[in-house]
Amino acid sequence: MKAPRIVPWLFLAPFLLLFTAFYVAPVVYAGYLSLFIKKRGAFGPARDVFGGVANYVRAFQDSDFLASLLNILKFGLVQVPLMIVLATALALILDGVKGRAQGFFRTAFYLPYTIPSVVAGLLWGYLYSKNLSPFNQITGLQTDFLSSSVVLWSIANIVTWTWTGYNMITLYAALQNIPGDLYEAARIDGASSWTLTRYIKLPLLKPSLLLVLIFSIIGTMQIFAEPFVLRPLGYVPDNITPNTYLYLVASRDGNFSYAATLAILLAVFTFLLSAVFLRFTRRGGEL
Amino acid sequence: MKKTLLALTTLALATGALAADPPLPKAPTGKVTLEVWSWVPGLDKTVQAFEKTYPNIDVKVTNLGGGPQTYTKLRTALQAGSGAPDVAQIEYGFLPAFVDLGGLEDLSKYGANNYKKYFVPWTWGQVSPDGKAVFAIPQDTGPFAMVYRADLLQKYGVAAPKTWAEYEKAADTVRQKSGGKVKFGNFYSTYAPWFMALAWADGGQFFRREGDGWVQTLNNASAKKVLNYWYRLIKKGDVGTLQAFTADYWNAAGAGQVATNLEAAWGPGGYAGSLKDKSAGQWRAANLPQWTAGNTIRSGNWGGSSSVVTTQSKNKEAATLFALWLNLSQNALTNNWTNGGLFPASDAGLDLAVLRDKTKNPSKFFGGQDISSVYARASRGVNVNFQWAPWFPFVNDNFNKQMDLMLKGRLTPDQALDAWQRESLAEAKKQGYTVR
Repeated sequence: MKAPRIVPWLFLAPFLLLFTAFYVAPVVYAGYLSLFIKKRGAFGPARDVFGGVANYVRAFQDSDFLASLLNILKFGLVQVPLMIVLATALALILDGVKGRAQGFFRTAFYLPYTIPSVVAGLLWGYLYSKNLSPFNQITGLQTDFLSSSVVLWSIANIVTWTWTGYNMITLYAALQNIPGDLYEAARIDGASSWTLTRYIKLPLLKPSLLLVLIFSIIGTMQIFAEPFVLRPLGYVPDNITPNTYLYLVASRDGNFSYAATLAILLAVFTFLLSAVFLRFTRRGGEL
Repeated sequence: MKKTLLALTTLALATGALAADPPLPKAPTGKVTLEVWSWVPGLDKTVQAFEKTYPNIDVKVTNLGGGPQTYTKLRTALQAGSGAPDVAQIEYGFLPAFVDLGGLEDLSKYGANNYKKYFVPWTWGQVSPDGKAVFAIPQDTGPFAMVYRADLLQKYGVAAPKTWAEYEKAADTVRQKSGGKVKFGNFYSTYAPWFMALAWADGGQFFRREGDGWVQTLNNASAKKVLNYWYRLIKKGDVGTLQAFTADYWNAAGAGQVATNLEAAWGPGGYAGSLKDKSAGQWRAANLPQWTAGNTIRSGNWGGSSSVVTTQSKNKEAATLFALWLNLSQNALTNNWTNGGLFPASDAGLDLAVLRDKTKNPSKFFGGQDISSVYARASRGVNVNFQWAPWFPFVNDNFNKQMDLMLKGRLTPDQALDAWQRESLAEAKKQGYTVR
């Protein structure tokens, strides 16, 4: 007895519908938008006319956009490893601690993630402000955390603060899944805590680590809220991240077509980065 | 005898009419609902009086809180072709960008030009750059004056400066006597319109329409004069560079580390609100210092806003009527000032009794001084022929970049202004404008 072919489609329909409406359609629309350029007469409103790949050509010559990509790469190369190492260390420590302390620290480390990034930005904005900052008051220094030359790293700090706990929970859950008999066998063979960590926990953590890394790379490419919230507090460059830049192109300069172009390029770039990363890490072993 | 009585009655009526509202256009008939986007606190209360006078018009107010996000929302709705309100609030500097988007209705079609005479002349120039099309009704203004701490000036033995030369001298004295702890003034390095208002007071022009295109002169002589002056004061440590509207600024101002500042007419309300627990009663307002001593006070304008009617509005006549009422009727002007701190753009508004109420804020905070008359004088000294360009939002942000480089010592003031001009011009051209 064979079920009619329509049944699987019926089950898939809700997903496909939402997927088309909220994923495929916007991407297609962005692609369509990106083909237009603004044309102006002497005065009066601009018209959008077909421009082919003109916007894409412009993007590759746009020093602001290229600088924003460079910024985020720099940011990712420092912040992501730092955060993952921190999250792994915390997860390992938490895995080692037993009893009530475990619950407390698990919650405490996770707590920053529950705060929306806009609120986190505002909160840190106060902590960073030159004359009010408790760091400056304690150390007696006059560090300007919001100065344009260090603001990228001030943002890295906020991001690390927010996401370390979240990543820690993922890694911690993976550690909890490691069967106890592995430890038992190792102990019988006389393994110390360090050997246990080095040869059992870390290797078995690898798939989760890769997952966390990929998510962090994608997340980094999308950073927007933190620099946006800090903007009124000082001078934060327009192109500090690709997302702030493309937001300004759309909302400030009113050039939605060019912003759509940048969004598509950003998506392609993120995809390439993740793909390269996966290819690179897979070589060492199975995912 | 009868004639005299008649004449007297007419006279009495005429005098009474002075304080009354100007004749507004006839309200359209039938049920009308207007959607209004604004950031003025208490506007929902103000419109109740309008609904009472025009029972068939229902006004729905959405308070968007102001700031760049407000414009983003409006721009997106206009671009999308639906979802925009009937009436919205836009600052003068950002008007041309919205005109350019094709989102604003030309109100001259609905008789707006008949109301030109009721507004302070320079404000009309802001909403009707070519003297024909009217893209908004002026709402509030931000003519520049100086606010200062009377107690600090007395402590350091300096008088409120009347000229920029006196200002610099007083600033030197205060720095020396306070050991650099008290800054005489403050330079808002991330607010281009603040800086532009100072050049505006000196007759500086940043944008000009010419034939079928534009001329942009961000590095004009006045701008260079003003920026070099401030740079010198910053370098000496006479003035600080705290960011406007931040906790850092309010903290320093309340703690007596800032002796004076140049603020727009809507500024004192912020002082009264943010510093009510600190330094209340110590502040005063005085005319903007002048480059040459004299009787006529010249000033510039920072901020201020207008009411626009969007092209998406289905009731453009009613919307125009509302925009006119909101900015001309005594009732609305009074409410806009008391609830929202809007310093009126209309002539009648400048004479409003409530502006001079010394027992209420902000005048109360300013030690019972009638600060509105200081600002009214400033408003009448604002140069009429000042224009903005549609790419101003970019210019606004690029200013911050150049000032950052200047304050880090990487650019001289002249170089910073030249870079501002160069990069903004390149962007304007990239956006397709005919500009030189």
